Amino acid sequence: MQFTIEVGRYNTEGRYAENAVTGEPFPAPWNASPVRRYQTYAVELPEHAVVLDALIAIREYQDQSLAVRCACRSAICGSCAMWINGHANLACKSKLAEFTKDGKTRVESPPSMPIIRDLVSDLKPLWEKHLAVRPWLENKQPIPGPNTEYRVPNASMEELIQEVSCISCSACLMDCESFAVNPDFLGPQALAQAYRYVGDPRDDKTKERLGELSKPGGIWDCTHCFECVTQCPKGVAPLDQILKLRKMAVDAGYTNNAGTRHADAFAESVKHSGRLNELTLMPKSTGLLNIVGQLKTLPSAINMARAGKLPPLIHKAIPGVARIKKIFERVGGRFK
Amino acid sequence: MIADHDVIVMGAGLAGMRAALEAARLGADVAVVTKVHPIRSHSSAAQGGINAAIGETDSWESHAFDTIKGSDYLADQDAVEVMCREAPQDIIEFEHMGVIFYRNEEGKLGTRAFGGASQARTYFVGDITGQALLVTLYDQILKAGVKVYEEWFATSLYMDGGACRGVVALEMVTGELHLLRSKAVVVASGGLGRLYEPSTNALICTGDGYSLAYRAGAPLMDMSMVQYHPTTLAGSGFLMTEAARGEGAYLLNSLGERFMKKYAPNKMELAARDVTSRAEATEIAEGRGIDGNVLLDLRHLGPDVILKKLPQIHEMALDYLAIDMIKDPVPVRPGMHYQMGGVKTDVEGATAIAGLYAAGEVACVSVHGGNRLGANSLLDTIIFGRRSGRASAGYAKGTAASRGGDDLLRSEQKRLEDLLARPYTGETCAGLRLELAIMMDKLVGLYRSDAGLHEALEALGGYRKRYEGVAVGDKGRVFNQALTFVLELGFMLDCGETIIRDAIIRKESRGAHTHVDYPERNDTDWLKHTLLTYRGDAEPEVTHVPVTITRWKPEVRSY
Amino acid sequence: MKVAFYPGCVSKGACPELYVSAKLIAEPLGLELHELESAPCTGAGVLSEQNRDLADALNGLTLAMAEAEGADLMTICSTCQGVLSDHNYHLKKDEARRDKANATIADQGFRYAGKTSVKHLLWMLFEDIGIDKVAKAIKRKLTGLKIAPFYGCYILRPSEALGLRERPERKTYLERLIALLGAEAVEYRGATKCCGFPMLTFNRDKALSMSGNHIIEAKEKGADLLVTPCPLCHLNLDGQQPDAAKVLKKDIGVPIFHLPQLLGLAFGFEPDQLRLNHHVVPTKGALEKVELKV
Repeated sequence: MQFTIEVGRYNTEGRYAENAVTGEPFPAPWNASPVRRYQTYAVELPEHAVVLDALIAIREYQDQSLAVRCACRSAICGSCAMWINGHANLACKSKLAEFTKDGKTRVESPPSMPIIRDLVSDLKPLWEKHLAVRPWLENKQPIPGPNTEYRVPNASMEELIQEVSCISCSACLMDCESFAVNPDFLGPQALAQAYRYVGDPRDDKTKERLGELSKPGGIWDCTHCFECVTQCPKGVAPLDQILKLRKMAVDAGYTNNAGTRHADAFAESVKHSGRLNELTLMPKSTGLLNIVGQLKTLPSAINMARAGKLPPLIHKAIPGVARIKKIFERVGGRFK
Repeated sequence: MIADHDVIVMGAGLAGMRAALEAARLGADVAVVTKVHPIRSHSSAAQGGINAAIGETDSWESHAFDTIKGSDYLADQDAVEVMCREAPQDIIEFEHMGVIFYRNEEGKLGTRAFGGASQARTYFVGDITGQALLVTLYDQILKAGVKVYEEWFATSLYMDGGACRGVVALEMVTGELHLLRSKAVVVASGGLGRLYEPSTNALICTGDGYSLAYRAGAPLMDMSMVQYHPTTLAGSGFLMTEAARGEGAYLLNSLGERFMKKYAPNKMELAARDVTSRAEATEIAEGRGIDGNVLLDLRHLGPDVILKKLPQIHEMALDYLAIDMIKDPVPVRPGMHYQMGGVKTDVEGATAIAGLYAAGEVACVSVHGGNRLGANSLLDTIIFGRRSGRASAGYAKGTAASRGGDDLLRSEQKRLEDLLARPYTGETCAGLRLELAIMMDKLVGLYRSDAGLHEALEALGGYRKRYEGVAVGDKGRVFNQALTFVLELGFMLDCGETIIRDAIIRKESRGAHTHVDYPERNDTDWLKHTLLTYRGDAEPEVTHVPVTITRWKPEVRSY
Repeated sequence: MKVAFYPGCVSKGACPELYVSAKLIAEPLGLELHELESAPCTGAGVLSEQNRDLADALNGLTLAMAEAEGADLMTICSTCQGVLSDHNYHLKKDEARRDKANATIADQGFRYAGKTSVKHLLWMLFEDIGIDKVAKAIKRKLTGLKIAPFYGCYILRPSEALGLRERPERKTYLERLIALLGAEAVEYRGATKCCGFPMLTFNRDKALSMSGNHIIEAKEKGADLLVTPCPLCHLNLDGQQPDAAKVLKKDIGVPIFHLPQLLGLAFGFEPDQLRLNHHVVPTKGALEKVELKV
């Protein structure tokens, strides 16, 4: 079956490749400047073939200058993550038949990361962020002797399989909305790996880790959009891990941040009126003593007021709100 | 650029990183040079588990015996003793590093059954044990702050005064050639699966280390012992872990029979890999296969076991064959998987060349002899990774700083430039590799014969000549993979040649080497290893060393 | 067609134009809105994060109320849709969770049996009301307008709870609706991306960069306006647009319509009735293109 694949090419050297079969050079201009261009290829492959099959076929027999990282071909090594039709996926796991849209599949390096060449991204952002969460076991003391393992329930180990399944392919980071605008954001992979150690009963630095992760660039800089959950090829669900970290951080007492204030204000509003009170939510989340922060939100508040979009100053409770209060009391916990 | 270190480790898989970690702990200035990021190493593809005699009812002697019997008595028993004796503590050490091993009800390390083992002693993490070990070890490397030259492709070893003094490597991102000078080098570059088609191995398993060490003068031992894994996914060759059979999966032929009853009535599907692979090949050859495959049936295990204990292979069968193993059996066939032979080392990881060490799949101590037991490879990497790290660091301490190497750097530069300048002859690297790999599977695979092996040797000679005509289809400097592919093919040719020669020399059948002209095991003449030493354009020198027997006399091997 | 109408907090707070327009279009669509006046806020995911049991109970109560009405629960907010779908998905299949939630709300006289279906108005147009009925209600085609759809994360992800595996067509309803109304749908990446609202109080500048970037992308592709089924997105895209422009140091000025407002225009209602004169970013320019005044 024939497949058409459009590949994002990027080459800073201004050199041209030669057609490996004919020995004829390709026309020079397409990669003479470090600008991205798309080059279209046609490949003949079985109908269940994946994108990586096409890329390998191209670079082996059609165009040896196509650079792409790949090794295991079976979604274990994580080398071949790239943008396929605008979303990050492993090329070895993406069936051409499923991804063909308007007769072709488009692959390229994601725009939010630097490119080395063609489909080879510079993954330094990923590795640096991973290192930043100190992703190693800080052993609980005393460490059992050389012939003795820590005794832990199997459930606690099984729970971490989801995080250990991460193959650092960086698909999550490639599609992370927050990272795209905020390079300081630790990102889904690093935070999932942070949870891997926070959630390990043998780790001694849980509290310190949660404190670090509560700082700017950490767990509260996630925009909760589920892109990472959707794109992760191994089911790591990084957002789920971030949310676990948020709860643990608040429970551990790291509450001096907008995230906690936001949740507290939200809960208080719902508890007392059954509904969200936007009027108080914003200022409370910002922090009532945070004058600079409050002043920043003033212009939009004025705009909304002028447009007649400010919620009523007297916030009405829903009928039967006592019911809601009872639920809060009964469930208990922080918002009780 | 020239950079100096105490120890250079070539390869960042389990063996390489374990060696580096050990050397770092002993205070050596160690650096790892690796052609892919450590996390991409093929160690992560090992699925099923890692062996150790930790259990109360178990003993290292039992583990050692199983290993030696599994090796068809070609393993050196002193080396096996070392590995099995040290296994428990090394596994526990990894547990202390944070590996999330499976636990039993008491919260202690729990086991699963595996091939060739007299009792369950395989410790595991789901079906991603290799990955779990690799990422944990990588985290420890980060913690220790070990320097990693990431995506640097090793092109040559630096030899000075008969000793190994470093590695010349191509920095992929810039295209610059560098000399990483050191007092010792540990080669831990993994296997050579791409020499065969089909193979479970990743595209990066191209036998680099075997060739580099060989050409530096280190003998290669028992290269003919190439393991075929019984259950590789039909078509792609992806590994379907032995753990599936460990959890109770059946192997069926076209008649729906559990045919292993005929070949290994006691162990059935958990016989040694060579026995199982040959059994499957026989069934297929005698017309009881299905399109050249047999069936791996897991239906009776139930969705709980499959999804909890074998999630990765469940997903693979779905992704690549659209088969849900909960509902249907999966077609599998034997595929080349592992090289038992390799660079000869002692139990410290030292080769015959001063300053040169080796560990992991690329090395041959020999602990696997003629056939490797499942879950012993992961063990091999961490035991001998640690030992070679320790030995190389110790050696480096007592060695003066290395010097020179500029000549080598220049000559390598010229060699690569000449390679890039080669004109087109129409020969493609990929095409030539494929021909080579198909030939190896056909003539030097599960079954060998005198006629076939000689045909193979001749064919290889032909491929070598054609290799001279392979041009590099990319003239750039930045991330030139076309160049490294051609270099890799060169390494594979060396591996192919030594495998064929070793197979021709060994006139018996033992372990993975099934010679149809000499179908019996011959302990009288062949309880010994074959060593091949590089002699340039002349044929390699052939020597033999006897197998070290400590307490287990060779017996008939049946399962 | 009777529906248990769940307007959500924002349509009765900072986005009254949404509530008003939703009520107006009910009649032409044949919808009988039974508003769940005593249903609490879904928690928007914020409460679920910190206390899952609490969010289960609150949403279990809402779902039980709808169940008691004997009708599907209709939302007009992507966030409500996402959160309710998520809790409904788990409460339906996890008996332990359902029992726990029910135990909390039992003495209030409510019990959720797991029968409620949660659907956004956008889905109902195609799946329950039917495209033919929608087409019949159109009195004014919006020809000449280039409209960029902005879904809002929680109506698209995660796909399991939102039933997108069974009905992947839900990912294209906005484009199809825009075409049905006679306008041209603008194709751009930002359509399925996050507006940044969840992060607005944590990292204001970055949240505003996100929404600003998406609108600018749509603008560069020729969009006259954006349409969104989520009032929280609307707050960021419209309410915060001037601030986003300041952060990005770029002009934006693209009006943001709610889904029911767009439908309302097509059904013949006047812009003032739909409160299109009460947006932060003026809708005048876009309306003039279809010869309407605000």
